[in-house]
Amino acid sequence: MSSKSLSPISLKRNRSRLWNQVTGWLRNPVNLIGTIGLLFLTYTIIWPVVEILIATFVWKQQDMRITAAANPGHFTFYHWQRVLASDISSSLFYKPILHASAVALCVSVISMVLGCGLAWLVTRTDLPFKKGITFLAVIPYLLPSWVIAQAWLTFFKNEKIGGTPGILQSLTHISTPDWLAYGFVPIVASLSIHDSVYFFLLVGAALSSMNSQLEEAASMSGAGRFRILRRIVFPLMLPAILSGFILTFTRAISSYGVPAILGTPVDFYMISTMLYSSMRARLTTEAHVLSLMLMLISMLMIYMNHRIVGRQRSFVTVTGKDSHKTVMPLGRLRRPLAGITVMLMTLVSVVPLLILLLQTFMLREGVYTADNWTLHYWIGGSVSGINSGEKGVLHNPIFLLALRNSLWIAAISSVIAAVVGLILGYVAARGKQTWIGRMVDQVSFFPYLIPGISLSAIYITMFAKPHFIVPALYGTVWLIILITVVKELPFTVKAGSASVMQIGGELEESAQVSGASWWTRFRRILLPLNRKSLLSAFLLVFIGAMKETELIIMLVTPRTETLTTLTFEYVEKGYTQLTNVVLMIMIAIVILVYYLATRYGKADLTTGIGGQ
Amino acid sequence: MPEDAIYHVFQEEFMKNGSMNHQWIKPAGLLSLLLVPALLLSACGNTGTEAAANGQAAQTITTNETADQLYAQAKQEGKVVVYSTSGRANDAAETFMKKYPGVKVEVSKVKSDEMMDKVTNEQDAGQFNPDVIITKEVSGAVGKEMVEQGRYLKYLPDDIAPKVDEPYRTKAPGYANYAEFRTIFYNTDYYKKTPVTNWWDLTTPEFKNKIYVADPLSSPAFMDLFTTMVIHSDDMAAAYKQKFGKDIQLSGTENAGYEFIRQLFANGLTVLKGSDDVLDAIGKTPSGAVGIAVSGDVSKVEENGWDVKPIYDIQPKTSVADSGYLYIANKAPHQAAGKLFIRWMMGEQDGKGEGLAAFNEVGSWVPRSDVKTKNPIGFEELNLWDYDADTLYMTSPKVRDFWIQQK
Repeated sequence: MSSKSLSPISLKRNRSRLWNQVTGWLRNPVNLIGTIGLLFLTYTIIWPVVEILIATFVWKQQDMRITAAANPGHFTFYHWQRVLASDISSSLFYKPILHASAVALCVSVISMVLGCGLAWLVTRTDLPFKKGITFLAVIPYLLPSWVIAQAWLTFFKNEKIGGTPGILQSLTHISTPDWLAYGFVPIVASLSIHDSVYFFLLVGAALSSMNSQLEEAASMSGAGRFRILRRIVFPLMLPAILSGFILTFTRAISSYGVPAILGTPVDFYMISTMLYSSMRARLTTEAHVLSLMLMLISMLMIYMNHRIVGRQRSFVTVTGKDSHKTVMPLGRLRRPLAGITVMLMTLVSVVPLLILLLQTFMLREGVYTADNWTLHYWIGGSVSGINSGEKGVLHNPIFLLALRNSLWIAAISSVIAAVVGLILGYVAARGKQTWIGRMVDQVSFFPYLIPGISLSAIYITMFAKPHFIVPALYGTVWLIILITVVKELPFTVKAGSASVMQIGGELEESAQVSGASWWTRFRRILLPLNRKSLLSAFLLVFIGAMKETELIIMLVTPRTETLTTLTFEYVEKGYTQLTNVVLMIMIAIVILVYYLATRYGKADLTTGIGGQ
Repeated sequence: MPEDAIYHVFQEEFMKNGSMNHQWIKPAGLLSLLLVPALLLSACGNTGTEAAANGQAAQTITTNETADQLYAQAKQEGKVVVYSTSGRANDAAETFMKKYPGVKVEVSKVKSDEMMDKVTNEQDAGQFNPDVIITKEVSGAVGKEMVEQGRYLKYLPDDIAPKVDEPYRTKAPGYANYAEFRTIFYNTDYYKKTPVTNWWDLTTPEFKNKIYVADPLSSPAFMDLFTTMVIHSDDMAAAYKQKFGKDIQLSGTENAGYEFIRQLFANGLTVLKGSDDVLDAIGKTPSGAVGIAVSGDVSKVEENGWDVKPIYDIQPKTSVADSGYLYIANKAPHQAAGKLFIRWMMGEQDGKGEGLAAFNEVGSWVPRSDVKTKNPIGFEELNLWDYDADTLYMTSPKVRDFWIQQK
């Protein structure tokens, strides 16, 4: 070591120089907040992932079941070899990952077309019924994705899975082909309907803040409509589009409910269905290897994203100057386009919702006689012979407790998630060129890919006892709130960074010159300008928190029972109507929240930024 | 130069720590900030050793209290926390709270495998939340990883024990309040008599593309049936001979159990998500197809409008039991109340208690000699394979691999 040659004084000087460098570095708010954010992410995300990773290299007691060579507690490559290079890897990993990637890619592309198209219509044209259409666009996301899959089956199923034939087949008497009823096509369709909302919200927020002078200038210089879209609008939207792409991709590649319903009849397995199976068979390590592979693939996607966005410059659309916005007249197409949009959206959003609502009033499913209408499932008492005497939802003794918990969890976690997302998104956007920004961006992405069960199992260990400054959260709603915030980080951070990227640095700089602290700048500039993205983050997390089951089920204790755990119980017992009643109540709450947020939050997606 | 409020706060924080030598204290403060995650990480890392210790300190519990004695203690405890895989617990809880006012029942519903993770993690972290565990087996893992480790404790009251049927009295790892099993269902509109008497019937052309099963890959209990066939491959081989009059020719498989699975796939087996989906498939409209579903679903037949019936006699054996075990959790905080609730679910000493009603249904069997079953056939007359937990535990991953490879 060279320290020998240094006198104590120069050592001290060196230290103070280092200290100055560190404090200077931290003086940059991006670095300081980034460091704090990274510490948070380290504890809540990186550590669980590292724990999962380490576990895949160690023999477990349970591995004696798979091979006699297992030596519990010792190092091994066995699990990786089993998944990647054994005689079952083709069925266990390669085929499912191929299926999953194909599905995820198609879903992303289709969602992109649907979501961007709709966002463009709503924000940049003079389409009528904009508010209604915006509202309709969010509805498919309100429904759990398996409900859409179930609806697909009701319509398209053929004799392959027996039972009552699908509506299409009973009407036309033509047998629906298998490819349309099960497997790849319906999975892609269901997931696209469900997940295109990401694109719609992200791109919609970006489009609505775009200054139309850019388009006008191009138009005056003689550029055609298509050319303007391609050369001006598209590059401006690129960050938002790519964020949407990655979000949809990871959501689709890791989705379980839809492929389980639509894929199994034709042996179309995805990595998520295999992963779930490994979990249930208590081959946890195998499941961990599979989920790490999912993370790896998605990291490759993000890397590509960075290559693309990195090369293209990102553009600022919100500047200090007043941005005026004109909408594009659709001319003769205005009414037909509106008609078609509303009709299609009604078909995918309102119809399933109405069917579900109707079902809650039917004593027996699918029987359309006058005496079959009932309020039993809402307010009925215990009648033996109906759902084994299960009472109506509003009479369920834990309903009120569950409702209160759900509202509490959803409200608090969505507010926290939106703000945390914006702050971390700020770091990711402003620190795009620094390692810390990139780290935050990358790490915040994992939660969609860690299986909910693994993450919550690790969280029990982490939060059951107080550790250092972290209190024992297990058994309180706070742990559920924390895990909800963490689990939704991928969306909130993406939404935050996509939106911060569009805000010109000069706004902040001028405030800084006038002596505003970072907190003031955040409060007075960033928060109001990002209101729209905050709203979408808030809404999506709220909906997500209301719907979440897998994640919460491990962490609920009887005192923290939520509406979803109630639904889970009804679904398990096959009580369709009761399930739908809870679903309807949840949806009604979300609609109310949506209404209040757009009304009083002055953050309507259809208007320009800041509610202009 | 304008500075950040947050930064100020941090600096002040460090200043407070610093006394004599600012140069020294500051980096130390910063360092400790960076060390936080490392410390936290190492704090979480050392739970493995506690797990091992936990296994050795298995608690034994007394079984000689009467209901009255337990109630007196339970009132002091005030409540009982139940982790259950079955909704039947809620039904029993309702009647229990009427019978024993002052003792509140809180039920959490969790799947059996998730419950294992949850309880293991809780106990390793020193949190002992549940009192009563109601769980199904997961290919022997509950017995191996929970009961043998002392995390779930067997509880069979002395005064009820003599009336309990085997294997649940002495042989099984715990007492099960009910047992169901997977068997073949058929459509009663289509078939006037049972279409299947031998499992090998399903491999004949008559049932080509007409067999449904709930996905064993997502439901371990279904896999257990096929694993048991592999374990008892001699039985399967004998049944083959009985059916076709000749010895079985294995086509590259290890034994008659695997061969059955292979031929089932070759005959066009259709896998659906769950047991309900299977009964929907064969029961909604007249159909020649048959399906493998859980016997407990018989209780839902009328409500769901299925025209189906289960077959209770198949060669070589109908099925293997899937038991709903009742355990007391290790270090249960409300142990007396837990015991009282278990007694209630068992139907109390005379087997007539209301708590049993939720378990004594068509399609499920209560293994008590003094309780009359609602089924047309008694538990003993059912031709079932024994649930060999140890062998199942070791064999099921192999069978699962084989199943996956058929895809």
